[in-house]
Amino acid sequence: MQRIKFIDKMAQGKVSRRDMLKSAGAFGVGALALPNFAYGAEPLTVMEWAGYDDATYYKPFADKQGTPNFSIFSSEEEALAKILAGYAADIMHPCNDTVGRFVSAGLVTPLDTARLSHWNDIFPILKTIEGVLDNGNIVMAPADWGNSSIAYRPDLVSEAFKADPSWSIFFDDSYKGRVSMQDNAFAIIIGLMVSGKTYDEVYNISGDALAAAAKEWGVKAIDNSRFMWTSASEVQQALASGEIVAAYAWNDLVKNLHADGVPVEYARPKEGLFTWFCGLTLLNSGKGDQAAAYDFIDAWLSPETGKYLIESLGYGHANQKSFAAADPAAVAAMGITDPISMMESSIVFRPLSDEVQVEQARVWGETKALKL
Amino acid sequence: MSYKTTAKAGPRRDLAILRKRLAGYGLLSPALILMITMLALPIMALVTLSFWTQNGFELDRSFTLANYWKMIKPSADPTVWFGIPFYLDYPVPAILMIKSLTMSLVATIAVITLAYPMAYFLAFRVTRNKAAWIILMTIPFWTSYLLRVFSWKIMLGFNGAINSGLIYVGLIDAPLEFLLYNPTAVTITLAHAWVAFAVLPIYVSLEKIDRSLLEAASDLGDSRWRRFRRITLPLSMPGTLAASLLVFIPTVGDYVTPELVGGTGGTMIGSLVQKMFMSLNNAPMGAAISITMMAVITLLVLIFLTLVGYWRMRARRA
Repeated sequence: MQRIKFIDKMAQGKVSRRDMLKSAGAFGVGALALPNFAYGAEPLTVMEWAGYDDATYYKPFADKQGTPNFSIFSSEEEALAKILAGYAADIMHPCNDTVGRFVSAGLVTPLDTARLSHWNDIFPILKTIEGVLDNGNIVMAPADWGNSSIAYRPDLVSEAFKADPSWSIFFDDSYKGRVSMQDNAFAIIIGLMVSGKTYDEVYNISGDALAAAAKEWGVKAIDNSRFMWTSASEVQQALASGEIVAAYAWNDLVKNLHADGVPVEYARPKEGLFTWFCGLTLLNSGKGDQAAAYDFIDAWLSPETGKYLIESLGYGHANQKSFAAADPAAVAAMGITDPISMMESSIVFRPLSDEVQVEQARVWGETKALKL
Repeated sequence: MSYKTTAKAGPRRDLAILRKRLAGYGLLSPALILMITMLALPIMALVTLSFWTQNGFELDRSFTLANYWKMIKPSADPTVWFGIPFYLDYPVPAILMIKSLTMSLVATIAVITLAYPMAYFLAFRVTRNKAAWIILMTIPFWTSYLLRVFSWKIMLGFNGAINSGLIYVGLIDAPLEFLLYNPTAVTITLAHAWVAFAVLPIYVSLEKIDRSLLEAASDLGDSRWRRFRRITLPLSMPGTLAASLLVFIPTVGDYVTPELVGGTGGTMIGSLVQKMFMSLNNAPMGAAISITMMAVITLLVLIFLTLVGYWRMRARRA
């Protein structure tokens, strides 16, 4: 992601005085120009993942209405807690496995798809994927999709791993302190998959089985991880320096590190590669103008945004036209560009019931706390 | 007549007293209002919240001690942490409290050990430009706390200053990995970040010591060490004690330092409270944990102060 890259470069001292001044200037000009866009209603407030606050991702909106207010979150549960505590946001960017939490909390306004000009170009399969529909209402406009897998340094891992990549690297004592999992209860599920279970068997594990799995696999993942990452730039820097040799990662990390000339590969683990589908949800807590909110969502669905997602992050996009618009080389580098075949060849994250979600988060928190 | 004058003088005097009182409260009021709105009310809200329970997305507002009971509910099956068995059903808060208290205690001792010589130097050796020296020692305060923690990350990191330096000198081949992401890193960072807070109170109490007492001790044959132990150290105790409380109390609940340099093993009680309020979506439990932590710290400080008072009394009698 652009912003993170700039910060990395700054940290490494690679930014020239001119670039620095240019960025500083752009920031200053942006800050000055902001009030000009304020019109009538309150400005839009959008809850986003770090990096997605870059104007390139919603250019058609930015051109007309400027920059909305952003609130950056690192996990959907954190965003949910913030909204429940009274934070007024208009738009949230959850994923198909987490949007249900917002629906059950009564925070979501169903989308009127007729107000989205790009809706007809969306891959039909994405319109009916688990989580997008709630009682026949569209609660999330699918926008970006990508994978979760292992990013590793081919120069620093064993040949055996390269020949047959497996999630077991996170539980292997010979890699102790040289890997990093994401800070998420999902580490327990992956552990169970390493033990031979399938994702569908264990994704909604709870009760005593969960407690036992946490003791066996959760503790191991925590012990072996150098740190449990919460920010993508943190894990990116650690892989670049060689501090860690493998990490749970999204596609953009590989793309970013390649751009910096770091040798890094994205594995297709034998237990499976995960696919996530994320999108934009209209919240009922917002104070902004609803027409502006629809414009913002529509901008995210535009082929321009898709082209940028594909070319700069290596992510997929929900709009079929994005793939035609993007650089063919970038599309080819992605491997699979069709969400249907992607879903068939990988494991799609599935939503959890509220109780199980809360329980898994609690057990994960306790498991981490007990580590010395 | 006389009846009338007393009747007149009475209320007038009352009025004068009232006015004086009002003036007193008026002078106090900015601080008082601030204390009530920014400290007393939030704590009251926290206490109230801790007696409620979270039920899914809803807050159950009926009074209950369930949150507190959960923290001390015994269990026959112990959870072993660091060799200590905890016979608790939900041992996480207890364990993290003990861990946080231990880490803060170590950090406090480190801070005092670092700050005392600095303050001593300032009080007894520096004769000119004292103000300049004091300003120099407070320079770390000129940057934000977050930046100071981050700079420790750069110092202790895999490619950090210490590792690169040692590799350059040729003492080690591969970077040392035990420097960052563990409780030691948290303690080092805390110790550095709070030293400047401790120097000033210790300096003030050292500065106040009557130099003629030191001369008398030397004249009567005390060695330097004995003089320090019998005169300087006891007389600087008030400042040193104040400094240790000043460091100990805030560091126990620190959140940002363990979050940034603590890694998987360096979590403290503050992280748990944050998780309760945010990702675990159980604000009442978080409130109960913070209230308990507050009570535990208060209790420890009271015990500490009582012991100090007792020692003093005994020393005076002897």
